[in-house]
Amino acid sequence: MNLRDISGLIFIIGLGLLLGAVLKTLAYDNILTGAVGTAILNNAATEVGTANIVTSVLLAYRGLDTLGELTVLFVAATAAGLVLGQRRPEAVHDPDAGFILRSAADLLSPFLILVGIYIILHGHLTPGGGFQGGAILAAAFFVPILASPASPFNHKVSSLVEGLAGAAFIIIGLIALFDKGYFLAPLLGTGEVGQLFSAGSLPLLYLAVGLKVGAELAGLLARLHETEASD
Amino acid sequence: MNGIWLVALPLLGAFLLPIVYRQHTIVGYWTGPFILLINFAIALGLWHGIANGPQIIAMGGFSAPLGIIFYVDKLALLFVIAVVLGTLVLWLGKERGKVQEETLLLLIVAGGCGLALSGDLFNIYVFYEIVALASYGLAASKGSGAGYGASLRFLILGALGSSLLLLGIALIYAVTGTLNLAHLAELAPQMLNGSTGLVAFALILIGLGVKAEVFPVNTWVPEVYATAPARVSALLGGIVSKLALLVVLRLLVLIYDDTSAYLLLLNLGVLGVLTGELAALRATDLRQVLAYSSIGQLGLVAIAFSIPGSAGVIAGIALALHHALVKPALFMLTPAWGGHLKRLVGAAQVSMPGALLFLVLALSLIGIPPLPGFWAKFLLVTGALGTTENVAWYQMAIAVVLIATVIKTAYFMRIARLMFQGQSREKPVSAPHSRELAPALTLVGLLLVSVLTVGPISKSLEAVASEASDRKAYIKNTLPVWDKSFPALSVK
Repeated sequence: MNLRDISGLIFIIGLGLLLGAVLKTLAYDNILTGAVGTAILNNAATEVGTANIVTSVLLAYRGLDTLGELTVLFVAATAAGLVLGQRRPEAVHDPDAGFILRSAADLLSPFLILVGIYIILHGHLTPGGGFQGGAILAAAFFVPILASPASPFNHKVSSLVEGLAGAAFIIIGLIALFDKGYFLAPLLGTGEVGQLFSAGSLPLLYLAVGLKVGAELAGLLARLHETEASD
Repeated sequence: MNGIWLVALPLLGAFLLPIVYRQHTIVGYWTGPFILLINFAIALGLWHGIANGPQIIAMGGFSAPLGIIFYVDKLALLFVIAVVLGTLVLWLGKERGKVQEETLLLLIVAGGCGLALSGDLFNIYVFYEIVALASYGLAASKGSGAGYGASLRFLILGALGSSLLLLGIALIYAVTGTLNLAHLAELAPQMLNGSTGLVAFALILIGLGVKAEVFPVNTWVPEVYATAPARVSALLGGIVSKLALLVVLRLLVLIYDDTSAYLLLLNLGVLGVLTGELAALRATDLRQVLAYSSIGQLGLVAIAFSIPGSAGVIAGIALALHHALVKPALFMLTPAWGGHLKRLVGAAQVSMPGALLFLVLALSLIGIPPLPGFWAKFLLVTGALGTTENVAWYQMAIAVVLIATVIKTAYFMRIARLMFQGQSREKPVSAPHSRELAPALTLVGLLLVSVLTVGPISKSLEAVASEASDRKAYIKNTLPVWDKSFPALSVK
């Protein structure tokens, strides 16, 4: 073992001991009923109008964080695009999968699109939402590529959807700024809690999140797939 | 004007830039600088608008601590202006048409502005992640193998730092149940000033320290700055690194007042100064010399911020702004003059403006009056002498700062002597391209303007510092609504 390994080991052991000592001092009985959590639990249904309280935190109380998380994904995708190499046109693709896999992939993808959109649109009612639904949408477009690697992926469309959906999130926020004086304030009233058309502009925001996440993940996966492996 | 534009506008620009470029390349060229110019104008307008007190922006109309707030005070705006103006200057003479690079630059500006303005701990983490990820990408943007390697190691260290930062924030949330800085400031004396709170601070400091080049987690610095494009090194070392220290300062002032957290930052700063300057003395590549010297300079800023009260804040801001002008300008000389120091023999005959530029900047970094670097260091030493508690620690820090100045003089003057020597038989370096000299000369121009206006600048810095070190005003400005509508929750 050289000096670097030993210092790494000492750091990990020290961090572990420190965390162990700290975790002993934390109170485990009423952590989740702390100051802010309780207030949000009491107010969310009437103030924001979502049946799924988590959504009210993600899109209303902490909407800016969600915009930030969207951006983090976008930064990661952009940086990866910057680093990943381009494919030569004459490079050979992996052979297609067998008949069963290819047909299953073709059958699966419309259902995946349906499920993805359902989960995005019901984000304010049931667990799920833009990020989860977006990941399913991305899978819908990526599964066919896995089954037959030579099939093309349209990066122009994916980056168009990605940019416009991201811009839509910010523009909804800016409309709220002009209308109500606050960036990302919920618009259009709360509606009746539990209905599909409720919670004001939150489903619209989730739709933007879902489309952006879907286009981004699909584009990133396709780009990773297209990168030639170096021997 | 609402401060959210400072973040929303570059974000919108970054999302749409790839589409704009595909439609009209010429429009694409100008989108980035145009957005930065508007942002700069907005920041100046806000500076004028908050003369009578900071602006509090509640996101979504949810008042603190339920929602996220932006706290637009002079300190935050000063750093916003530094980020926007710095990026704008570094855009001068930049190669055009690199979509992904320009997107990442806009994102770094958006993240940096958010980092400076945000008054919510988790929101700060999100913006920190944006800045961090964008810098990993930019560090690799030159496309060389060494650059990829450096960026990958930077990524690993940065990811470790980010998880420690998140762990620290989670600890604070587990203890207090809130993330709003003002609410935390109110609860801190009872809940966070014990050992758990200090552990959380240490984790956060190490996490933010990766970007701020704080002592144990700065191993990425020399490697990345030697392999990344000069403009990226200039941006990361000169400007982005200070934003992380700004967050540390906010936490110290608001939450860890009257605790030994100050001493932790002081010691890491002292170690950073010592190791950075000693390593710079041994370095043989101009880019590495600049990288190590930037570790030393950030150590100085850390020492300054660890002095309690407004004396420390003012010294820290002065050092940070000075370094933000000088270091990017020096980095702009490295595309032509990087590599082994021996190559610099006779550089003055190749390009007299470049050599003179180097000399002025180096003298200012060392702290020769009347250049602004002297006043910044002077503020630091007087601030450290004015402390009343832990005097021995601060005296030790002063001694280290003075020794470091001697070391700095040694290596910078050695390089300057090489430059002004007669030409050697070896092939001399080429003159810096005017593309690279344009931003450097702009920054030096700003530096010289600040020499002439030291009086007004120091007066306005005093106002900034006294506002920033007023913990009670921060709480009072942010939380009044909360106290009225939820009386039961304001005190636990």
